[in-house]
Amino acid sequence: MGIRATMSSSGTLCASPTSMMKIRPYLYTLLFLFVTVVISIAIGSVFIPPVDLGHILIGWLNRATFSEPLKTFAFILTGIRLPRTALVLLTGAALGGSGAAYQGLFRNPLADPFLIGVASGAGLGAVLAMSYEFSYSFWGLMAVPAAAFIGALLTVFLVYAMAHVGKTIPTTNLILAGVAFGSFASALTTYLMLRSTGELHRAIAWLNGGASQAGWGPVLTVLPYLAIGLGVLLLSGHALNLLQFGDEQAQQMGLPVTRTRTLILLAASLATAAAVSFSGIIGFIGLIVPHIMRLWFGADYRRLLPLSLIGGAGALLLADVIARSVMAPQELPVGIVTALVGVPFFLWVLRRAKNQGYW
Amino acid sequence: MFRKLLFALLIVSLLAACGPAQTSIPTAVSTEPPVTEVPTVTSITLTDDLNRTITLAGPAQRVVSLAPANTEILFVIGAGSQVVGRDETSDYPAEALALPTIGGYSGYNLEAIVALHPDLILAQGGGFNSPELVASLENLGLTVYVLPNPATLEDMYTNLETVANLTSHESETAVLVESFKVRVAAVDEKIMPLSYGPTVYYELDATNPTKPYTAGPGTFVDQLISRAGGINIGAALQIQWAQISLELLVVANPAIIILGDSAYGETPEKVAQRPGWGTLTAIQTGQIFPFDDNLVSRPGPRLVDGLEAMAKLLHPGVFK
Repeated sequence: MGIRATMSSSGTLCASPTSMMKIRPYLYTLLFLFVTVVISIAIGSVFIPPVDLGHILIGWLNRATFSEPLKTFAFILTGIRLPRTALVLLTGAALGGSGAAYQGLFRNPLADPFLIGVASGAGLGAVLAMSYEFSYSFWGLMAVPAAAFIGALLTVFLVYAMAHVGKTIPTTNLILAGVAFGSFASALTTYLMLRSTGELHRAIAWLNGGASQAGWGPVLTVLPYLAIGLGVLLLSGHALNLLQFGDEQAQQMGLPVTRTRTLILLAASLATAAAVSFSGIIGFIGLIVPHIMRLWFGADYRRLLPLSLIGGAGALLLADVIARSVMAPQELPVGIVTALVGVPFFLWVLRRAKNQGYW
Repeated sequence: MFRKLLFALLIVSLLAACGPAQTSIPTAVSTEPPVTEVPTVTSITLTDDLNRTITLAGPAQRVVSLAPANTEILFVIGAGSQVVGRDETSDYPAEALALPTIGGYSGYNLEAIVALHPDLILAQGGGFNSPELVASLENLGLTVYVLPNPATLEDMYTNLETVANLTSHESETAVLVESFKVRVAAVDEKIMPLSYGPTVYYELDATNPTKPYTAGPGTFVDQLISRAGGINIGAALQIQWAQISLELLVVANPAIIILGDSAYGETPEKVAQRPGWGTLTAIQTGQIFPFDDNLVSRPGPRLVDGLEAMAKLLHPGVFK
């Protein structure tokens, strides 16, 4: 457990006393996010000239109406690209932030937002909902995201209930119960898919993060859950720092360990569950982004959490741009891209990192 | 640090730029929907597979097809010139290939669809096109008609008539459907008197040759094999697209093997060399035939061609 080494190495790497050095990581990641948002809005299968982009965005904010050909561009931009960009941004932020929180909570470099079964639970819920033919209505269409959300949270509660011993929740128990329950739910999901008589690609697309519904509806629906979940996480930086010293020491330093861990776990799970409910399961962002942020900017969770949130949003936006460009006009499920592009990039960062043994 | 980020961005933007050229929006002039000549056009109202009531102001003039069967229906009833876009897998008839694609199985591209200014999007139900996709298109203000996934040839004819209503090709389609019925009846007439029907194994996918996929009960493959005077051994399975174990296959010992996966490179020679398959009678007698799976797996008008091809294959003596 190299946490003490980490803290000191982060000190030498970035956190010099000057305030400029303190805000620099935020500047970099926010700039990265800004650039990815611009790319995500600018690139699509229909080419919109940059000049028109500007006109439309300004006009849209002023609620102006457009005539052809700007009308079609405006329609594509405000009806398709902006809401998609917003949903991807929120999803990436949720996965990056929750990933950092889970890694800190479990003090385990392998932890990601799906460690204790959120993804498998959500997948089971979604596929269950897909196996029933709901009527085509608002609530019928909400069935899959709602079932995914409930499946994810139910899994967390079940795992939590199985893992706790007396008043404590040993990390090992939590991980083992999570992994076991995850495997169980995945097996059940696969069984349901094999039993299904209909087309499987709706389920497969969902399980690979290629499920999103267009429009502002999903964005507005997930927003409150993400605001609560990520809001709590952003406030837990100090607590996570203390938890790195181990439960006993953290308790001695005045942290109500069990309550804090439960709260962080719930907040991260809530954010992840909301994120996957509409976007499907997107792997690797929640694992890799916190590590990259840690390698580059140090392991202080007060900073790592917001940075992972911003970095996750930017990284997923880039993955999404790639997902809809490489095979255009076909679109790939974004979960495939995060793995195919994210993993080599992460390995490259890992090889080049100066502060090896950063964990 | 900054340079690292820039470098990363550069790599990714290069990757993104490697994709195919972006399609540009047609100019304003060409996007104007052609004005319908007939002044007496009344609106068309139909209920689709999702129980939605769809109303068109007049016959659809700019149709985007989201499924290969739909594309084949549109072209066969004579509405080919009213189609402006197709999904990636719509590869028949050859004229359809000239149309711009709007994505496909792995993901449909909403921008590309919107840019085509469709007045009708023809989707396929039964799980082929997801309700999420339909909702997304509907939220964008587009008109989507979900054609039911037919279970029988009669259903398929109904689909033809529905599309004919939507595109105003009713009279041609009535003639066409009649001709289809005559062709099917001609097959029935030759097959009915036969007392002998060979057992058939129809292969969909043999990536795992110990557990290949075959067509189960109720599929068009199954229906057409029966109607063409054969006995589909897959009919004994529980589900529609099912894996059959090599053991079951050996016990059933089909007289004829039909390779629906020949488009993926399976050949009679390769099948004969599969370990454990040598005991099958069909292999010893050389009764293995490649087959155009698109004729029997797409729920469109070519099912009739599929029935005739299947009947000729199973009973070559009767179809001289």
